[in-house]
Amino acid sequence: MTVLASVSLATFLVAGLAATQFRSQPLPPSNRLARDEALRKSVNQLEDQNRTLKARVQTLQADVKAGEDESARRSSAAQEVKAQLDEQKTFAGLTALHGPGLTVLLHDGTDPNSPVDHSLGWTIHYQDLQDIVNVLWASGAEAVAVNGQRIVPSTAFHYAGVNILVNNASRLSGPYTVIAVGDPPALANGVGNPDQLAELKSRNRIYGLGFSWLRSTRLSVPAYDATFLVKYAQPIG
Amino acid sequence: MHSPSVELTARSQRLVIFSLIAIGLGFLIVVQLRSQAAVARTLAAQDDTSVALLINDLNRANNQLIQQNAVLAEQQTQLQKALTSGGADSQALSKELTTLREVNGAIAVHGPGLEIRIQGPVMDFELQDALNNLRNAGAEAISLNGYRIIGSTPVVSRGDILMVAGHALRTPLVMLVIGDAEQLGPAADLSASSLQTRVEVSIQRQDDLAITEVVTPRPVIYAQLGK
Repeated sequence: MTVLASVSLATFLVAGLAATQFRSQPLPPSNRLARDEALRKSVNQLEDQNRTLKARVQTLQADVKAGEDESARRSSAAQEVKAQLDEQKTFAGLTALHGPGLTVLLHDGTDPNSPVDHSLGWTIHYQDLQDIVNVLWASGAEAVAVNGQRIVPSTAFHYAGVNILVNNASRLSGPYTVIAVGDPPALANGVGNPDQLAELKSRNRIYGLGFSWLRSTRLSVPAYDATFLVKYAQPIG
Repeated sequence: MHSPSVELTARSQRLVIFSLIAIGLGFLIVVQLRSQAAVARTLAAQDDTSVALLINDLNRANNQLIQQNAVLAEQQTQLQKALTSGGADSQALSKELTTLREVNGAIAVHGPGLEIRIQGPVMDFELQDALNNLRNAGAEAISLNGYRIIGSTPVVSRGDILMVAGHALRTPLVMLVIGDAEQLGPAADLSASSLQTRVEVSIQRQDDLAITEVVTPRPVIYAQLGK
């Protein structure tokens, strides 16, 4: 009786494992490839649409600006508002700027392939870019761009899986170049301060992230390639 | 009553059966573990989760861009109409000026949103993550303990003290966020879930909250217009 029970239990376990094994088999390669292809095709189509929409935004912005310039020429009231508008556009990152500043460079390091190091410290994370931008603002930067994407009031660094995204789903990939226009010594002191970006500097030593910075007498940052929508906030007064 | 030889044969048979089952079990366990690792590697290589999340973000961004195009097209039509009739539409300019002042934190604003109270110390990267999540969910104006926060507001920790735009903040931290509460809610929950392991966080939806603090724009000394 005991033997029968043992054999039944063991058979049950074997059957269970066999069933699990069957379920955990990867998809057949043909299905997997088709799914991959479909997903990547969707990304390509959406990124094409994204580029087209941004180009359309920029064309319309240029048309609107031409209309505003003409309005300012015709009316002194419009001219007064236009001057304030231009100033706010500069603050909001809607105009390209140039000047002296700092270029910060970094890239993914070398995967240590270590059985004890699963930290992914060798990769650049969106938080690293966010931290660098934060230090640059704190050091008096007047305008900042990351890989050609202007950092504006609505910019949010975030992950979509392994992708680092900013500004209307613009993908950032290494090597990363952060450009800040401002006082070069002040910006360099901020980034070089041992109390700032300590974790990134430590990982740079371990994994070789190529974290470096360079003062320049002339750098340029592009204008934000979209615009701002405000639907919920209403001015007081 | 069995003879000793029959008993011995039966015991041998049981031993053989158990050995076979044990070998089978061992084999299946090993194969099972190996195939699970293979599945994980395959998924990591394909990274279909990343691709799916990217598709989601691209869809959302493209919808935003479509709306931006519509607003700009309307603005252009309005300006053109005024110019065609021989005048100038300073109202259209004023409307755009107001929008940009709101975006730059230059004027007081009110509207629906969230009030987030955090009782306990928060580090700069935690606040920055929360701000990223909220902006990504469409936050239009943010203040923290009476300081307006915009994209260029530095957030740093000096030891245990959280500094925003050079001001030390004390707990409780009260963050006001104006935007679509339906969108902001999940973003705030996401940030709260990581903070709630050590600090108390409460999130309340508000129909109308006011952010009266404004940001004085930093003087532009080094930057000049143009590429």
